[in-house]
Amino acid sequence: MRVVIGEDLFLLREGLVKLLSAHGFDIVAAVATAPELLAALVGEQPDVGIVDVRLPPTHTDDGLRAALQARARVPGLPVLVLSQYVEQLYARELLADQAGGVGYLLKDRVFNDEAFTGAIRTVAAGGTVLDPEVVRRLLGRHSRTEPLTRLTPREHEVLALMAEGRSNAAIAQRLFITEKAVSKHAAGIFAKLDLAPSDDDNRRVLAVLAYLES
Amino acid sequence: MLFALVLLLTIGCIAFILARDGKGVPRPDGLWLLLRPDAPDAGLVRALAARWLATGRAGISTVHALLLVPVVVLSLQLLGPHAWFGREVGGLDVVIFDLTVAAAALVLIFRSRAWAATLAAAGLLVLGAYGWLIAVFWPVPGFAYGFSDLHNSPMPAPLWADALEGSLLLALGLWLAPRVMRHHLAETLSPSDLELAARAQQLTKRVQTLTQTRHDAVDTAAAELRRIERDLHDGAQARLVALGMSLRAAERMFASNPEAALALVAEARETSSRALTDLRDLVRGIYPPVLADRGLADAVRALALDTPLRTELDVDLPGEVEMPVSAAVYFAVAEALANAARHSGARTVRIHLRHAAGTLRAQVTDDGAGGADPAAGTGLAGVERRLATFDGILAVSSPPGGPTIVAIEVPCALSSAKTSSC
Repeated sequence: MRVVIGEDLFLLREGLVKLLSAHGFDIVAAVATAPELLAALVGEQPDVGIVDVRLPPTHTDDGLRAALQARARVPGLPVLVLSQYVEQLYARELLADQAGGVGYLLKDRVFNDEAFTGAIRTVAAGGTVLDPEVVRRLLGRHSRTEPLTRLTPREHEVLALMAEGRSNAAIAQRLFITEKAVSKHAAGIFAKLDLAPSDDDNRRVLAVLAYLES
Repeated sequence: MLFALVLLLTIGCIAFILARDGKGVPRPDGLWLLLRPDAPDAGLVRALAARWLATGRAGISTVHALLLVPVVVLSLQLLGPHAWFGREVGGLDVVIFDLTVAAAALVLIFRSRAWAATLAAAGLLVLGAYGWLIAVFWPVPGFAYGFSDLHNSPMPAPLWADALEGSLLLALGLWLAPRVMRHHLAETLSPSDLELAARAQQLTKRVQTLTQTRHDAVDTAAAELRRIERDLHDGAQARLVALGMSLRAAERMFASNPEAALALVAEARETSSRALTDLRDLVRGIYPPVLADRGLADAVRALALDTPLRTELDVDLPGEVEMPVSAAVYFAVAEALANAARHSGARTVRIHLRHAAGTLRAQVTDDGAGGADPAAGTGLAGVERRLATFDGILAVSSPPGGPTIVAIEVPCALSSAKTSSC
């Protein structure tokens, strides 16, 4: 799997290269600035781009902007954005085109290399991965309003994991329940939120997120 | 002679009272400096005089000038021609004298109200003082001797009448004198002096405000540094120590007990994650990254996304606000939103952020129960102090039953909008 990395801090960039190489990813470019990143993403059209939000030259959100620009030029180009902090605002911008192939994670999620490489693969396959912190805040917005208050605690957990972009199998494994039970909870949630049910994982995530962001 | 002496003394006293240097210490040459705008220090004296001028009314009307009439009548009664000529004079001479003086007074009243009023004020003060002098000292043996050439009778009218008359005249004189002095000052001083005085007053106030807000800013900054130090010490630093200890222990166990070592390494990884969380929260409190990335408007939008309340946004900033101001406003809005979510029982909150006429205005309105006491919490007080450093103000309106409105205003300029870098 061909990967482009945009990260300005040498230690982290090298760390990512080593980690991903060890997991069998093919690093086609590892760059340190936003303009280089944009050029690499558009030029190489990798299977997935791994992008730090904060990059030179302005050291603000140049990385995020470069990723969004790359996706504007190459629709659906999978991008996994990493950051020291997460903002719902940025998640919203990344998800705005509804094209999928988007990830937004805190940098420390890299510590868990299995989950991290799993997330990269999900994004590369056109899926959506959101950091639990973003999801927590998304749900926090609706914590006092109907119909989320009608969900059972278990349904809440399932909804959070669905919003993170996890498949039924992953949710089942995480909650120590069967996949069938997950499907049942998912159906319950969709009914309560008045959403059209969908078997497609990615479409389901996008529906949930669209609902939570409204 | 005596009349002239008292008059001179009165003018001297007034000049002395008026004339003070920059520190408020009297200086006898003050009045002289007023008349000589080129002299060194004259500017200060003129400015002080102008400041005093601004404390009352300066207009002289015909009514004021007409006060000269009773003064002249009383003076003529008191000081008949005998006092001026030093001998007894005949009836016709007295009439001619009285008529001449009256005519002169009338001419003065109609030609120059200001000088007529000036003379009236001086006369009222002198006659008033004279009345009291007579009332108090006439019975003193030997005193009457000095006045015997002024008064034909050894003992004038009842003393209380003199005292009453003196009081009335003094009161009138004291009422008229400042007005007259202000009038002359207004004539003497140029508009630039007046402007200078107004400016000096403004500057004094400004310095007071700046002293206070600088003091507050230093205090706030020190408290903030203290908080950051404590947070680092108890949070990330402590976790890094724990991390090092876990790793060291794992190092020792690698050979003897690899499984336990592995568990310790996993624990170390957890700890490093928590240290990062601590640092992230700390950074958010110092300078929120989204504010650094996107500026105030987007940072407020991000705040709105994070509140559990339903939000209505009216945010329109065509440019960027300078960093310290935007941070102060950001934390003010954040505090208002947090209060609305925590205390008010509100469901919806409206956030308004605009810049117009050199002022940045933010307003957070919730539909909660109201009755919030802005003095109760320390949060808003801290926000208010922080805003004051930029001459900003914070006002809270929260009647019982709601709505609660937190309004923030900071005078500031907008720079051109930030442009995308790539």
